[in-house]
Amino acid sequence: MVDSEERRSLLGDEDEGRQAPGGPERPRSACCDPSHVLHRVVVLVFMCFLGFGSYFCYDNPAALQSQMMQDMKLSTQTFMQLYAWYSWPNVVLCFFGGFLLDRVFGIRLGTIIFSSFVCVGQVIFALGGLANKFWLMEAGRFVFGIGGESLAVAQNTYAVNWFKGKELNLVFGLQLSMARLGSTVNMNIMGWVYNGVADAVGSHGPTTLGWSLMIAGVTCVFSLICALVLAFLDKRAERILQKEEGKTGEVIKITDVKDFPITLWLIFIICVGYYVAVFPFIGLGQLFFIEKFGFSPTQARAVNSIVYIISAPASPVLGFIVDKTGRNVVWVIIAVFATLIAHMMLAFTFWNPWIAMSLLGVSYSLLACALWPMVAYVVPEHQLGTAYGFMQSIQNLGLAIIAIAAGAILDSRGYLVLEVFFCACVCIALMAVVMLYFVDYLRGGDLNRSAADRAKLQKEVSSDAE
Amino acid sequence: MADNRMTMIVGVLALCVLTTTRGTGPDRRQLSMHLIPNTSSVPHDGDLLHVRAVGNNDTLHFLFCSLGAPTLLLVHTDTPNSTVEVNWTDFVARNSSSSLKVEPESSVQYSGAVVFSRLIEYDDVNDTATPTSDVFPPYNLHDFIWAPLNLSDFTALLCGAAPTFTNGSLCLKLSAFESEGRGQSLPHLLHSVNSSQLDVWLDGVLPRAPQSRFLLELQAVGGAYPLSRVNVRQSIDDEFTPSIFKVSEWVSSSNGSSDVLGFLQWKPVAYRKPCPILEDATPVCHSGPHPQMAVGNSSTLILGFFSAPQTIGLNLSFGLAGEQFYNKTRYLMWTMLMGVGPPPVDSFSSLVIGIMAVGLGIPIVLLLVGGVAVCVHKRRKAAVVSYQPIN
Repeated sequence: MVDSEERRSLLGDEDEGRQAPGGPERPRSACCDPSHVLHRVVVLVFMCFLGFGSYFCYDNPAALQSQMMQDMKLSTQTFMQLYAWYSWPNVVLCFFGGFLLDRVFGIRLGTIIFSSFVCVGQVIFALGGLANKFWLMEAGRFVFGIGGESLAVAQNTYAVNWFKGKELNLVFGLQLSMARLGSTVNMNIMGWVYNGVADAVGSHGPTTLGWSLMIAGVTCVFSLICALVLAFLDKRAERILQKEEGKTGEVIKITDVKDFPITLWLIFIICVGYYVAVFPFIGLGQLFFIEKFGFSPTQARAVNSIVYIISAPASPVLGFIVDKTGRNVVWVIIAVFATLIAHMMLAFTFWNPWIAMSLLGVSYSLLACALWPMVAYVVPEHQLGTAYGFMQSIQNLGLAIIAIAAGAILDSRGYLVLEVFFCACVCIALMAVVMLYFVDYLRGGDLNRSAADRAKLQKEVSSDAE
Repeated sequence: MADNRMTMIVGVLALCVLTTTRGTGPDRRQLSMHLIPNTSSVPHDGDLLHVRAVGNNDTLHFLFCSLGAPTLLLVHTDTPNSTVEVNWTDFVARNSSSSLKVEPESSVQYSGAVVFSRLIEYDDVNDTATPTSDVFPPYNLHDFIWAPLNLSDFTALLCGAAPTFTNGSLCLKLSAFESEGRGQSLPHLLHSVNSSQLDVWLDGVLPRAPQSRFLLELQAVGGAYPLSRVNVRQSIDDEFTPSIFKVSEWVSSSNGSSDVLGFLQWKPVAYRKPCPILEDATPVCHSGPHPQMAVGNSSTLILGFFSAPQTIGLNLSFGLAGEQFYNKTRYLMWTMLMGVGPPPVDSFSSLVIGIMAVGLGIPIVLLLVGGVAVCVHKRRKAAVVSYQPIN
């Protein structure tokens, strides 16, 4: 699932939040008092589980790939449509998510609506399995996609609203870790769920698949309940503390696109080239490890999930390092190069894939920490919303197209050519980041400054302003 | 393990230099095919096909016989003028071990044969794919009724059915090649001029249980150097057989050296539909090879050519635990190559090499160009004299 989490941490720090404590003084127990930290911990718990369901269900196809392909009689290309249909609505919706949350629905109602979309989408997906109709499954993923990405935006807005100026970075880190936890749990237990249902139903088949997906949908219902509880708590806090309803603070103006500098376009290319070599690969990874390396299905799912498992603890740590050292472009070069090495290892050798996948996990986390903040250094603040929206949009477009292409390549030419194709995508990202380094350097650039330099510049700017 | 590293080094080198392994021998052969005897006036209930592949200074004789169990005999001679002499009455009567001779006999370098002896069916009730019990009486291929060989440009099709089959048949298709190339359909085996391809398929045969699976028994017969061991090579390249990374080779080698004299090569995959795609693949396992008692009276060709044959058997089982049963599609197809000399080795296609070269080359070029631009830029900046303020 795409990394709106990482980039929002930047926006969050720059927002101006206002909290006006006040109102009638009435003794309240600690966890019912909205201004008390214990209450905020309770809210944090619900906030983290808000996204759990959608991250859990996003990778259901990958966890059940061989069962899905056998039960619904799919080729790899049709199987990957399930991922493509998730991404298609987000090509457009990334621009409007913030707008819908701020102006049309409000954060509370918006979260509930998107959470319902996630829930309903997963149910339709499961019904497609029960009825043995693949088009219904695709429709379910489409509805799921409408809710999934925008729910992430809503989750971040809640975090900013409740934790602004206090423990915001920690909260973002926790939310990201919960998201990755959801993906990991999905990869590792869906196989058992399926086998359990198969024992109960008596055979493998679309019915078994449908019921397994319904059980996975329970997590979405759980997330919907969290959304309702959060809305209640938020409304209550607004009444008691008289603070404003949270806003995403994004302003999207499509006409800003013509002002984007070349460095920003290079960042877009890096983003697309990189992520299309990671997410579709994880989608197809399980069978790859079974066929090429002779892993058992359980082992294959475990090694497939290692990327997410590593990124949960590694993201905050690497984010801290990148914050302290600066020099974002160099970190991006390192991350892209490491991913290229990982893919080449998987393509051209029989070395234990745990090594390559761990390398992939670390470099994926590193890239997320170093790439998304660069956008903020390249465009002025009032264009930031448009820039991020555009970046998400073309990322989803790339994912949708490449997911189908990856399936087609695998069906016709096998895993080696598929891996070479992913290497080529990473090479494109590598070309873009090398060009970015030189363009930035020759323009006396800003992107590759060390953190100390940036702090000095900041001080000069603020002392000049006085 | 040495194979892995070898394959990897070959793969890396292939990025720089296109390496292809070629056997020592001619690049093309002239093929001629004819049935023995070539008149239909002599009654016979089976055919003997002779394919003669003449190279620059050697000849390969492929003899494919459907009298008894289907047998493919391969004889390699070191002269382009060798011929096959058959005493047909003795051959059919099976009372002489030299009714089929390759003249001149001193030019014979290698001779080996593969006999398709039995088709075994077992009921896999627990879905474990191990044929320990519930084995039905096997079909002996020498009891099958074979249709006349159907010949068409350098391929021969042999189909037959057991007396107990209600419908359906077992077919074998022999293809001989004039030059190096690749099979038309999956598994797209790479063949050299020194090999021929044999496709075996089971079509429409009624299984005796809803969960039955099949085993095919092969027997390799050789004179001096029979096929003795099976090497399973791992290859990183699955371009032509998607998701199959192994190649199995049943080789015969002389005692002292590791040179391969003759081989049987296949990929451990079979297909469940006539024009297969990736999803129709099912894995194939082999057990053996193990020495066996003489082939005995099941193959006329063996009896007519070898005087003291050594027989080694191999079982191929189709399907693993959890895979679909035969009853789902009632079709199974498997392909193998039989030839002399070292078995063909797949190498990367130019597409893969091209993409990697371009993909890695452009960033390197960009780095160099950018590095030069940066140096020029620095030099230009240093040339500008900067004035120091006076106070």
